[in-house]
Amino acid sequence: MLAQVLVSSITAGAVYALIALGFVLIYKGTGVVHFGYGDQVTFGAYLVLIAQALIGLPFWPAVVVALVASVLLGALIYGGLMWPLRNASLLAQIIASLAMGTVLREFVRAYMGPSAWPFPFLLSPAPISVFGILVVPANLAIVGVSLGVLALLFLLFERTFHGKAIMAACDNRIGASLIGVQVSMVFLAIWILSSVLATVAGVLVAPLLTLSPDMGLIGIKGFTAAVLGGFNSLPGAVIGGIVLGVLEALAGTYVSSALKDMISYGILIAVVLVRPQGLLGVLAMKKV
Amino acid sequence: MAGRALIVAIAVAAFFIAPHALAEFHLFQICLVAGTALVVLGLIVVTGFAGQISLAQAAFVALGGYGSAILAARWGIPLWAGVPIVSIGAFVVGFVLGQMTLRVSGHYLALVTLAVTAIVQIALIYSDNVTGGAAGMPVPAFEIFGLTLSTGAQLYYVIVPATAMLFLAVHHLNHSHYGRALAAIRQSETAAELMGLNVLRYKAAAFGASGFLGAFGGGLLAPLSTYLDPAQFGITQSVYFLAVAVVGGMMSPLGALVGSIVFVLLPDFLQAFQTYLGLVFALLLLGFIVLRPEGLAGLRLPKGIVAALPRLGGERR
Repeated sequence: MLAQVLVSSITAGAVYALIALGFVLIYKGTGVVHFGYGDQVTFGAYLVLIAQALIGLPFWPAVVVALVASVLLGALIYGGLMWPLRNASLLAQIIASLAMGTVLREFVRAYMGPSAWPFPFLLSPAPISVFGILVVPANLAIVGVSLGVLALLFLLFERTFHGKAIMAACDNRIGASLIGVQVSMVFLAIWILSSVLATVAGVLVAPLLTLSPDMGLIGIKGFTAAVLGGFNSLPGAVIGGIVLGVLEALAGTYVSSALKDMISYGILIAVVLVRPQGLLGVLAMKKV
Repeated sequence: MAGRALIVAIAVAAFFIAPHALAEFHLFQICLVAGTALVVLGLIVVTGFAGQISLAQAAFVALGGYGSAILAARWGIPLWAGVPIVSIGAFVVGFVLGQMTLRVSGHYLALVTLAVTAIVQIALIYSDNVTGGAAGMPVPAFEIFGLTLSTGAQLYYVIVPATAMLFLAVHHLNHSHYGRALAAIRQSETAAELMGLNVLRYKAAAFGASGFLGAFGGGLLAPLSTYLDPAQFGITQSVYFLAVAVVGGMMSPLGALVGSIVFVLLPDFLQAFQTYLGLVFALLLLGFIVLRPEGLAGLRLPKGIVAALPRLGGERR
């Protein structure tokens, strides 16, 4: 029983981890906390449906079209929103990212209707028994992709020259541009990358959750995972996601479903108040 | 002084003429504007004046609506007493929440307030023996002096004066040393602290005020809508209030009123585009924050009005 709960909860945790990775990527790369990211994940899944309905493509080409479209979306977000607001207050940036998420959600609601859509699984949703524990291949794919994305981003940030340039651009915009880093290009690349990641996450997650305009609320769980892991740590995002998934499943199984729904928000508040640097993060001291 | 007296006279006259000149539906809308404006006014105090982002406003509105309805249904406390009582409770909740969370700022504060809204909504859904759960609960009628006020035209006589009074109170406070302290904190917390201000206390008080106004607005809106549904008090609703504040203008109480008028009346003008209403609101928010962050109230007004406005709040100290 316990083993089964744990194995199933890791899937949910991997979903949170995948979304948390997007948050951390944007935060690490551009210094912006993107409050509309959950809606962007939803929008990514809808892009596939739109490509199928509009152009009449089969599933896989539609996924490719959705990925290309999300590259454009990422460029649009940076060029149309984040670049004009680069010197605006943090408050304006937060509201802008919230507004962008709301625009995507309401667009989907108006264009595709408020009700849920069926979304195909990439792998078989039929469970197979491994040592008496039921495992679902489609869920394993989510865990695998989360770890893969983590590995890729980790290598990019920690092991390549481009990654160092990105960190430099985020740490000190003027300093980085003085030594020849094209800061706006770096930020553009981050927004495109995170936008593609959102669509990948959306395609993986949509069949598991119900794909409706309000699926973006999952973004808050991603936030909790990111905060729990420490907002600027990529491995922290994955660990935070898994821990959150496991805690939720335990609370739901052994206490009550009310606690399962509430626990992520409770963790979010508790971590921010008690340990804002999270499990693996480094606390950025405010200098006066 | 003459200008000020004239404006007050016109406002009072308009208040008493309106019920005779306007249709029932328009009076209902005026009540809706007033109640929404009160809620958004709270947001303007904490986010506009004190510079602290809050996504908890829907939670305070829920507290006001549900709190006063439950007090009336369970303990027989009439709404006219229950709404202020619950609002004072919301002030305390906001103040304590502020003391706890305002040490963190920026995006962490947005996250915590977001989580508070979500928790309150989930709590409403799961305590079904008190709140009616996901199905919601009816709001008892507003009874005062033996009269039962149930329609928009009747509630008008309660909602509009209460809103007007609280707007004046906020206007006065904003021009007192409280308002100047908040402005100082907004511009530089470090500088404000060096001047000897207890920054945390002021910010928490602003948070408390946003709770008070949000709950008061919620308590007034509840009998107007006659039914409380937990789906109305989610994160989406908090963002909606933020949108009203941004479009109206964050930096003055007037913004709350202007924004509420836009967001309450717009659906009537867009009846043919009902499906796109949410999208229109979202695009308005996005457009204003990028192109005109000072909001509609930041527009230049004709000189005469501008000259009269500050004096409305009395002499500046």
